[in-house]
Amino acid sequence: MLSESLEVEKEIVDDFKKILGADFIDGQVQRKGRVYIKVKTDAYKKAIEHAVEKWNTYHLSTISGVDLGENIELLYHLLDPKAKITITIRTEIPKSDPKIGTVSDILPSALVYEREVYDLLGVIFTGHPDLRRLVLPEDFPEGVHPLRKEWKPEEVK
Amino acid sequence: MSVEKRIFKIPVGPQHPALKEFEHFVFTVDGERVIDVGFRIGYTHRGIEKLAESKTYIQNLYLCERICGICSAAHQGCYAQTVEELADITAPPRGTYIRTLIWELERIHSHLLWLGVAAHEIGFDTLFMLVWRDREVVMDLLEMISGNRVNYAMSTIGGVRRDISDELKHKILKGLDILEERTKYYKEVCMKEQTILARAANVGILTREQALKLNAVGPTARASGVDVDLRRDDPYGAYDEVPFNVIVYDTCDVLARVLVRVDETFECINMCRWLLENLPEGDIRTKFARKIAENEVVGRVEAPRGELFYYIKSNGTDKPERLKVRTPTLANILPVCEMLKGGYIADIPIVLAGIDPCFACMDRALFIDENSEKKWVWSREQLRIYSIKWYKEHGNEVVRERWKQ
Repeated sequence: MLSESLEVEKEIVDDFKKILGADFIDGQVQRKGRVYIKVKTDAYKKAIEHAVEKWNTYHLSTISGVDLGENIELLYHLLDPKAKITITIRTEIPKSDPKIGTVSDILPSALVYEREVYDLLGVIFTGHPDLRRLVLPEDFPEGVHPLRKEWKPEEVK
Repeated sequence: MSVEKRIFKIPVGPQHPALKEFEHFVFTVDGERVIDVGFRIGYTHRGIEKLAESKTYIQNLYLCERICGICSAAHQGCYAQTVEELADITAPPRGTYIRTLIWELERIHSHLLWLGVAAHEIGFDTLFMLVWRDREVVMDLLEMISGNRVNYAMSTIGGVRRDISDELKHKILKGLDILEERTKYYKEVCMKEQTILARAANVGILTREQALKLNAVGPTARASGVDVDLRRDDPYGAYDEVPFNVIVYDTCDVLARVLVRVDETFECINMCRWLLENLPEGDIRTKFARKIAENEVVGRVEAPRGELFYYIKSNGTDKPERLKVRTPTLANILPVCEMLKGGYIADIPIVLAGIDPCFACMDRALFIDENSEKKWVWSREQLRIYSIKWYKEHGNEVVRERWKQ
């Protein structure tokens, strides 16, 4: 819509660019209230901390994991209800060594969401106090994570 | 007895054939007090996110609808509007209004259903039966509009599937009058009836700080003084046009959760009236091309239980690359664990019911006395009866103690 002004959204992208420097990969304003920031893996925690402190996006809606083939992409959807802005911090990690630090020390609600991503995509969140399967049964084969593209439902028949 | 010997672990759940869904909790108790809570979920996990990747966008409408039986319209509507954004199409105003109307009617039915369940949990079965009788009014309205009592299949990508005629409009308005009158009566009951006050006031406390820190959502957050409602805070559908108030209570207990939902029911009734009176003329849906170019969208709605979250990624085909769903009950799991800590065993049923959980079940309880190796199994029903009996014996002292605080 033409009447929408995207000033705040653009300001957020510029701010992240300034703070993260070389770790900033891409910033995108999709529409009013939707900002996507792509960062290098090393800086993702700094980016989330910054989003929570500076932009008050205290509400972690969830963590989405996407299998991209070679890599697994993690998206942290952060919301500030007052400003009506969702900042999604995204980063890619190699599927061969899917490890990333936990954010549950900053956002306690991540305790559940990280377990879900671990369960379904096999991402290991280092520093998570209790990283167990969340939804799959206890006797599900070790090291098998169904939301990975190479996994087919026939495997459990 | 030493302190360690007094502490027992009580596993509750996961299943019972008579009730809706499954959930397992482990309560660590010291005497009658709960000191720690652990949970295990996933008993009804059926891999819908994986399945969605192999179905077309149209097929997924009906798959998403079946994630939840009570808030099916919220799921389907949220999915439909997220895909619309993904494909860059807009539903016509009449379609958006009808979709919003269904969301609000569904919220009325969900909140009344919850009020009945809550009354049942505290042993107030008269209220349970009365509320569920009157809930039939809104169920009939939904059936008249959509042809179904549950899983309405109203939303489609690009709008809605059925129109509302003028005759139907009058019937809905009549039904809303009955619902308003009855809800007024229930509000009075909830505010004055000792049976409810004794069991709900000062029970299951979740402070505002905890609710914010643990990212509680929906009525659970609003009952803890957190002023958040995605209908206002991340507007979608027709919510930027409909006038309504966000209901917030700050007593942080089960009673607040009751009152938030009862007051919200009034808001829903007024919103439905406004939507019907201002229903725009025109088409109810637009066309949708089956394939969607590469894109990604974050979509949210305020379901009856709180924030419902969808993330959909498209890849140029007629099937999504990734469909991620986060339901409100998952967000409220950590908050409910906090609420239970420090409470009585007898309060477990009502506190758990207080977040309006979609798994609804703590059905079978196995009690193990670790020291004497005594084991006994309680069903959810037995736990409920225990809680009612316990309150008959201890009620007065506990209530007195609470009012002192």
